[in-house]
Amino acid sequence: MSLIRTKDLWKTYVMGSEKVHALREVSITIEQSEYVAIMGPSGSGKSTLMNLIGCLDTPTNGEYYLNERRVSDMNDNELANIRNREIGFVFQTFNLLPRATSLHNVELPLIYNGTSARQRRLMAEEALVKVQLGDRMTHKPTELSGGERQRVALARALVNNPSIILADEPTGNLDSKVSEEIMQLFDELHRQGNTIITVTHESTVARHAHRVLSILDGRIARDEAIPESQRNGVR
Amino acid sequence: MIAGSLLRIAFDALRANKMRSGLTLLGIVFGVTSVMTIISALEGMMDSMEESFSSMGPSTFMVSKMMIVTSEEMWLEKVKRKPILLEDAELIEEGCSLCDKISPRMFSQATVKYGNDKLRRIGVMGGTSNFIDIVDIEVAQGRFHSFEDDLYRRPVVFIGDMIRETFFEGLDPIGKQIKVGNKKYRVIGVAKRRGSMFGESQDDFVIVPLSCFITQFGESRRGGVYLTVKAVSLEKLDEAMDQVRMILRSKRNVPYDKPDDFDMMTAENVLDVLNQITRMFRMGLIGISSISLVVGGIVVMNIMMVSVTERTREIGIRKSLGAKQKHILAQFVFESTIVTLIGGIAGIVLGFLIARWLVAMIDMNISPSAVAIICGLSISIGIGLIFGIYPAMRAARLDPVKALSYE
Repeated sequence: MSLIRTKDLWKTYVMGSEKVHALREVSITIEQSEYVAIMGPSGSGKSTLMNLIGCLDTPTNGEYYLNERRVSDMNDNELANIRNREIGFVFQTFNLLPRATSLHNVELPLIYNGTSARQRRLMAEEALVKVQLGDRMTHKPTELSGGERQRVALARALVNNPSIILADEPTGNLDSKVSEEIMQLFDELHRQGNTIITVTHESTVARHAHRVLSILDGRIARDEAIPESQRNGVR
Repeated sequence: MIAGSLLRIAFDALRANKMRSGLTLLGIVFGVTSVMTIISALEGMMDSMEESFSSMGPSTFMVSKMMIVTSEEMWLEKVKRKPILLEDAELIEEGCSLCDKISPRMFSQATVKYGNDKLRRIGVMGGTSNFIDIVDIEVAQGRFHSFEDDLYRRPVVFIGDMIRETFFEGLDPIGKQIKVGNKKYRVIGVAKRRGSMFGESQDDFVIVPLSCFITQFGESRRGGVYLTVKAVSLEKLDEAMDQVRMILRSKRNVPYDKPDDFDMMTAENVLDVLNQITRMFRMGLIGISSISLVVGGIVVMNIMMVSVTERTREIGIRKSLGAKQKHILAQFVFESTIVTLIGGIAGIVLGFLIARWLVAMIDMNISPSAVAIICGLSISIGIGLIFGIYPAMRAARLDPVKALSYE
């Protein structure tokens, strides 16, 4: 049983009289506990693919199965459920609520599945401790460094124990030293059994993964495993 | 569970934008205040009107050539009617077995003088001694006319409190001579103060025996005689009115297929008619003041639209974390409704205070009515919902991908 299975995914945008194919016949399979990087230059369609995998968007054509459930023709509400329970997002711009504390930001996904306030707090605290922010719980994003913000975002992604952690250019707004710290955190999470998919155009980030999907002009151009010797961050 | 959390989110958002929330609030406060002021003041007026007419007594009715005129045509028709005469009252006295008391009255206006003091255009009423038993005027000092005063045409006068205040402040009015028109009368009694209605004093009257009135002003005045009739009981009121109607119709030779050429009404009828006459006026006032509510609602909608646009990214974030459309919808509707509800409560309190102040100026009192409060609250909540739902729907339907990339 594959975690993610897509068959001939198409995503087509209509711009004026022109049709733009952002994705063409994308068929991929990703197993439980894999660590996959999706690489490609800007405009290659990697963000579109991420949006589809993350259930933020639906394909124009084709099928997408997540945990053997057909996601490709679900409605808005069902997709929201999937995002809530199965996907943990990490964004390039962190996407934290600026006025909320770390704790409240991490609690957000739990609010929408009806977890009790007490339980929410416990789970959020646990997640923040996991990303080594136990001492920053009541800080607001503006009081945190970039690396700390991204770790809050990671804690938020983790808090619901999702099937996939989906990271879109997670180090895009961070300097190289902090980037490395964040990537090591991803490595650690992968070691603990989480499935991780990162979307990036940086090879240093991609080289943390065990498998790289290269995408070009909306098609999967290459699908290669990274041998352990070539990986970053392995000690 | 989720609703509670969403409510908190809404509260927090409002607190975070104090200026904006305050401005929205103000829009609603003004709207609700103006409507509540009008409603409360009108209610107060209707209440006091009801009170003053119910003092006439439920089993009492009035008969006259014309009492209620709601249009010019009606006035032109009724003014041509024959007046009701004193002899009609005698006929009724004999023929109406279900009538307990009959009090004929006539009205005029005259200048009233005491020494060098003068009051112009004072209502002069000629009445019989039993008038005081039927109508609720209480004697504060002295006495009302007696049967003999009327019979022997004694020049005595019973005065309203305003007359006493003007002429006899600090003096004993009883036994003093005043002039009504050009005739001298001796004051025998003073009525208890009745206050004012619609800003008009109800204490500026003098009452003389009907016989004196007729001698001084003549019987065949245009208005004729007003009869106040008390039926033997409330149950027999309708029958008593029928008896009076039959007597008057035959006396005045009204053909069987023609309507009455005189007006009859009970206290209840009077109130009904007053209600009818003032209904359009009241509706109009409420309607005009409601415009400010609509303006308040538009303020809410406008600010919520701005808020939704400004928080597009927040909405995207929430959706990416699993918020459903209904969650976003609820969050924003809660925001607008909280504002309008708080504004509504403030408006109700403020409106009531203003209304009380206004009404106090014309000597009336009002108390907060449950109807007005419930109305005010539901109107405010309604505005929050109606004007909040469109912006909230816009927010709920945002595409998560586009919302997340919104700058």
